[in-house]
Amino acid sequence: MLHTETIQLSDLIMSCEQNIVSDMGGEKVMLSIRNGNYYNLGTTGGRIWDLLSENISAQQIVEQLLSEYDVDQRECEQQVISFLEQMRKEGLVLVAEKT
Amino acid sequence: NQVKKSWQQPALEVL
Repeated sequence: MLHTETIQLSDLIMSCEQNIVSDMGGEKVMLSIRNGNYYNLGTTGGRIWDLLSENISAQQIVEQLLSEYDVDQRECEQQVISFLEQMRKEGLVLVAEKT
Repeated sequence: NQVKKSWQQPALEVL
């Protein structure tokens, strides 16, 4: 079930389909068809976006990033949640409570 | 050991 509360690590994150995504020099740039805005997700944000191609929880995103990047777990969790909150605010992702 | 990439804080920039 979709929700708008603070994102939890157990929540499922889904990318909205109304976006055109392109790689530009290692960074991901996106055009939202829904609101007409352009976004730069950067390199780490682009990697997170790639992970959203499957039904995945925020926890699974963090675990995958921890295996790829040199980062503290707590720092990674906080920054990923914050990034996903930004994405949801812009209507780029949907968040569902894990049932 | 796998060489890990350096971390950059993910941020959404509205262009």
